[in-house]
Amino acid sequence: MVCGVAVTMSSAMLNAEPIDFSRQILPILSENCFVCHGPDTRNEKDLRLDSREAATRDLGGYHALDPDHPEQSEILTRLRDKDDPMPPKDAEKQLTEAQKQLLEQWVKEGGAYDLHWAFKKPVKNQAWVDAQKVDYPNPIDAFIAAGMREKEADFAPEADKSVLARRAALTLTGLPPELSDLSLHMADATEEASGKWIDQLLKDPKYGEHQARYWLDAIRYGDTHGLHLDNRRGIYPFRDWVVRAFNDNMAFDQFITWQLAGDLLPDPTLEQQLATGFVRMNPTTSEGGVIPAEFQAKNNFDRVETFGTVFLGMTMVCARCHTHKYDPITQKEYYELLAFFNSTSENPLDGNAYLYGPTLNVPENQPAWHEWLELSTRQDALLKGVDADTVTNSLGSLEKFGDWEAEEWKRSKSVSVDAVVPDDSAFEELKAEHKGYKKDRLGFVNEAVWVKFRLRSPVAQTLWLTFSGGTDSAVFLDGNPIASPTRQLPDQRFVSLPLVVNQGEQEVIVKMSGTEVQVAQEVRIETPWKSWSGKKDWAACGAADQLRMLADSKGPLAGMKGRMEAFELARRLAMAEANFTTTLVAKDLKEPRETRLLNRGEYDQPTGDPLTPNVLSVMGTLPASAPKNRLGLAQWLTSRDHPVVARVLINQLWQRVFGVGLVRTPEDFGLQGQQPTHPELLDWLAVEFQDSGWDLQHMIRLMMTSRTYRQDSSWRPDVSDPENRLFARGPSYRLDAEVIRDTGLWAADILDPHMGGEGVKPYQPSGMWMAMAHPASNTKLYERDRSHRAYRRSLYVYWKRTSPHPMMTLFDAPSREVSCVRRSRTNTSLQSLGLLNETQRTEMARMLAGRLITERFSDQERLDYLFGLLASRPANQAEHKACLDLLSNMRERYANDEESARSLISVGDLPSEYDLPAVEHAAWTQVATIVLASDSAIMLY
Amino acid sequence: MMDSFHPLREHDLMMTRRQLFGRAALGLGTAAMANVLSPSMLAQGGARLGAEGTHHKAKAKRVIYLFMSGGPSHLDLWDYKPKMQDMFNEQLPDHVRSGQRVTGMTANQKNGLPLAPSKYKFTLHDNNDRGLWVSELLPHTATVAKELCVVHSTYTEAINHDPAITFIQTGSQVPGRPSLGAWLSYGLGKMNENLPSYVVMHARTNFAEQSLFARLWGTGFMPSDHQGILLRSEGDPVLYLNNPAGVSGKDRRKQLDALAALNQQHYQQFSDPEVLSRIRQHEMAYKMQTSVPELMDLSDESEDTFELYGEEAKQPGTFAACCLNARRLAERGVRNIQIFHRGWDAHGNLPKEHESQCKDIDQGSAALIKDLKRRGMLDDTLVVWGGEFGRTAYCQGGLTRQNYGRDHHPRCFSIWMAGGGVKPGITYGRTDDYGYNITDADGNTLDPQPTPGKFTPGTMHIHDLNATILHLLGIDHKRLTYRYQGRDFRLTDVHGHVVHDIVA
Repeated sequence: MVCGVAVTMSSAMLNAEPIDFSRQILPILSENCFVCHGPDTRNEKDLRLDSREAATRDLGGYHALDPDHPEQSEILTRLRDKDDPMPPKDAEKQLTEAQKQLLEQWVKEGGAYDLHWAFKKPVKNQAWVDAQKVDYPNPIDAFIAAGMREKEADFAPEADKSVLARRAALTLTGLPPELSDLSLHMADATEEASGKWIDQLLKDPKYGEHQARYWLDAIRYGDTHGLHLDNRRGIYPFRDWVVRAFNDNMAFDQFITWQLAGDLLPDPTLEQQLATGFVRMNPTTSEGGVIPAEFQAKNNFDRVETFGTVFLGMTMVCARCHTHKYDPITQKEYYELLAFFNSTSENPLDGNAYLYGPTLNVPENQPAWHEWLELSTRQDALLKGVDADTVTNSLGSLEKFGDWEAEEWKRSKSVSVDAVVPDDSAFEELKAEHKGYKKDRLGFVNEAVWVKFRLRSPVAQTLWLTFSGGTDSAVFLDGNPIASPTRQLPDQRFVSLPLVVNQGEQEVIVKMSGTEVQVAQEVRIETPWKSWSGKKDWAACGAADQLRMLADSKGPLAGMKGRMEAFELARRLAMAEANFTTTLVAKDLKEPRETRLLNRGEYDQPTGDPLTPNVLSVMGTLPASAPKNRLGLAQWLTSRDHPVVARVLINQLWQRVFGVGLVRTPEDFGLQGQQPTHPELLDWLAVEFQDSGWDLQHMIRLMMTSRTYRQDSSWRPDVSDPENRLFARGPSYRLDAEVIRDTGLWAADILDPHMGGEGVKPYQPSGMWMAMAHPASNTKLYERDRSHRAYRRSLYVYWKRTSPHPMMTLFDAPSREVSCVRRSRTNTSLQSLGLLNETQRTEMARMLAGRLITERFSDQERLDYLFGLLASRPANQAEHKACLDLLSNMRERYANDEESARSLISVGDLPSEYDLPAVEHAAWTQVATIVLASDSAIMLY
Repeated sequence: MMDSFHPLREHDLMMTRRQLFGRAALGLGTAAMANVLSPSMLAQGGARLGAEGTHHKAKAKRVIYLFMSGGPSHLDLWDYKPKMQDMFNEQLPDHVRSGQRVTGMTANQKNGLPLAPSKYKFTLHDNNDRGLWVSELLPHTATVAKELCVVHSTYTEAINHDPAITFIQTGSQVPGRPSLGAWLSYGLGKMNENLPSYVVMHARTNFAEQSLFARLWGTGFMPSDHQGILLRSEGDPVLYLNNPAGVSGKDRRKQLDALAALNQQHYQQFSDPEVLSRIRQHEMAYKMQTSVPELMDLSDESEDTFELYGEEAKQPGTFAACCLNARRLAERGVRNIQIFHRGWDAHGNLPKEHESQCKDIDQGSAALIKDLKRRGMLDDTLVVWGGEFGRTAYCQGGLTRQNYGRDHHPRCFSIWMAGGGVKPGITYGRTDDYGYNITDADGNTLDPQPTPGKFTPGTMHIHDLNATILHLLGIDHKRLTYRYQGRDFRLTDVHGHVVHDIVA
């Protein structure tokens, strides 16, 4: 039998090899000695053991570590001193005999020091990898095999093809494979099949959704401010951008740079600015009586500490109040790093406001982004082709365009959306300007408000009418429908369209139908011509107005080439921009805010001179050309010389793919963290990541095509390695909360594929928010969605940081108040209750049961279908028996009690699409419930 | 009591394992330990301890924490300040405040900081010491004066709700740390597998003025199975406890049998011990479906009980009902129970609010003590009552003899403890004539700061409070650690002193 524990058994124990300081000695010193003899030693005279220079200092005729006569080192004496030992007798942490022996060996060998492994630049041992190529075409396997060889173990056999297909789909997209895809893949016997399978999954937009989630844990994404009132915060476009970045396989160095400093890039795009939402992700407060300076400090503590965890794998918090006890980070360095973040312009208190500025207007959801990006590109191309001189000549000293008067505004009560134009008696006078009005809230989906007004124009021209209204909104000009009915995407709340008016007077009627998301009731009339008549300078008019002027069929440019395209683009862009939402972004103050060291981390005790932003010296220096702002910080992070960042990120990726990291403490690469199980592999991957141009998908492909990943995940009787530190079996773990929920929705065919937008609110036991919320909080009422929104992927579940969704926390989702780069994976009885009783799960089960019954015709086939969906394979014999026994039992039971059957198949909002016999449907619902809850469905293996 | 798997032991083993796996070798013979120490084996109950799994002999086996969310006014409830009666509307003398931080809510008041003497009558009740002054707002609690240890000199560093409540419940002003309850769950383990080990209740109030946060019973960086489980008065008492409509208990049994068969199949193929553990969790859930309704069913309580707790105890969600639940939970082996009662935040209209708040909690608190006592459970049940800070001697807003408000006051506040190895019928700590500063017995102002290695007798920082709570439960607050980001975290950070003067 081979024993996994022995992986770290030191060969030095057998005196075969010299001591490896960084791996064997430094952890002992850090754990046992640095608390008194470490970097934060207060008195200069005190002995320090964190560097050779300090340890060999003359202490008055003797040395802790004697450089010339190692055997006379005081350490050797004190280690064994009966009366006055070190560590002292009453110290909490005592050395083991083995540790003492190691220290003795080290001292006797001369007491050489070396840098902690993580602070040394990773080196790629390519020559060694190349030499292994014949046996291990995938370099990962070469490293893993070497580790196993030491323990006389070998790879486990490859897992079944279907198991691997499911594993890969769950790893990449967080959902099992579609059965149609799976059967094509199973039929593909070519060598490239598995590679193609991975590529296919990488192209699936669900990939980005799944990968983004881990990042959102790390950077503590939430839909609320997180403290005190815990009010709503508008930042979900950031979440959607992360999804896009993963789906576009954005180079990771760019991904980092945009988030840290997109606003500081030259002429930043909308997306680059939006990405700085990362900087704004810290929880905030506006509790009555708090002091702004206090939260200016606290917000920045949070930023710098999250930055440390996510990018540096460093625990920064100690250095807030004093120089770090273990890691070489001084208190001054902490505040120098903090200085990068201290000049952002937002108020330290959030005002409990949704629009906690600075904010940016951006498209609302994923389809809207794609459309807007496409339209913008086309607009740019079209406008590039327009000759300014020609236009200027055509426009001349244009006068009357852009003038109009809109009067006699009237508005109806909220009426059924199906009603035709109400007669005059339904209308009441409405106060509005000729440019429009904004007030109240628009009604719900099945209601509509009608507004009418008289509009006078001195010329025939195209005005632009924007109003709040959902699907089936309409506009009538002198009784004729000009846009009816409008078909819109589900989340659109505004209609914006060109209104071609005649010279003289006309009646405009607007039907504003309600929307799913409540918005203000608003009508707005705009014109592009004002921007010309003001400046008479085409170039200064702005792209949107230029486009609209080109598009006006009644205007002086009507004869120009491209008018039709301009009209289409203008119409669609107007619609897109009318539905923009806001998102929190970072901007710097014109003058940087002064940063000083805070004594003991107290906001009211700044001491010393003002500090310049700077990086941690143990990890190199700020590149010479780098500005001393967030952009410079990003350049430092992504520089080839940075020792830690690539390692930390690749370890996070390895953890996503294999379930556990190469460093098991992904949040701590410091002296107190665990050492990598395969240091050379970690380094090779880190450098490969940089070499590839920070190509995440390249790294994922490498990992997932490795023999290491493709192993069977059964625990092995011949290898005792409960933590799988050898990686001598495939990954096996319970899936995350989100994946468990999404899988059920998907299997039941009720998963709403819509991507992006404001967080969704599925079923939640009533009163959970109310029982905790401040009466003034705008998140005290959980108003659950009663539409397709409730069936969207869990990535989009509304994240209230002081009270996240209970089905999420039940399965170990973090609160997102602080960074989390590794979730716990607990196994509790309350999870069982959730799996079997939660409303949405019962609804999934009954919808899944309906699907089984209608799409397959025998019990046998239905079961195979059920297991096919959830386990990517047919049910085996024992599973058949267990399920069929339950099925026949339940048929009998419900035949005697049809009312119970009907109750069960009515759980949840969804109408049953199937007209099925209640008894049969209920019995299958029971079966679906348990298979959905079984380990074959909720585990990755 | 059930012999069960014990987290302190789990913790030790985890630490050993971590060292085994994560560091250089420790010695020979450790290899053999690997199997014994696998987490799955632990989860299966592979590691079992005897009755004493604690650092030292525990005085208390369980704790019931009555948390008054906000700041109950020590000046109107516990800390009798007769001299203030003659100083109505006089400014708080500068030397008393001596530059201390005042919240933004009163810092710039037009009327300055006028003293607001309590309008309530205080009576001296016999205890086992120099007597206990209790205001007329707490007539029931006053009847158990001989059981209470009232601490007048509790203090904190935070002055606003969110940081202060987070501080007292997690030992840190900012989110991210495990709660006191999570530490206790981690340290004490479980005596009854059919009920959650750490139960939290939210009691009803007329003044839900401040918010609570899941972090207050959450686990921070610890595994989430140590989090507090809400026992609710609305819907399912424990989330998702009840079967869906149309599914009977019998059905569930059959479902679970089938589920176990499926999972056994999975286990046979993959041999992952976690699968066996999950089969066991499904069974425990099934038992919980019986034990929780049985817990919530008060029909076996005598009329006597309701006389003690009051008729309100029959209404789910009232503080009295929560107290009764707490006793029933304690009887059933739940060791870690917390009731949150909101609304202690009387910036204005203190009399109206505090009268209502006290009425909510007074009888239930006293009843709990009496009930535990008559059942012989008070000796080993620690009951703690208190909020996150106190209230100011000066008035916030308009001041009359009959009506006033008080701002937050962190520098001293009163809490009480009872049973569970605490000296009964004593008071601990003193404050000055304004209930503003902590003083020694001679009236000299003490200005305690939480300092490692230095304790100021007569004071109780909230780290000291938490250290003392852990101590009474047999846990050394310095040794109950959890490693995260390379640091062995403690509930009490680097602070905390057990206040031995109040330990029996």
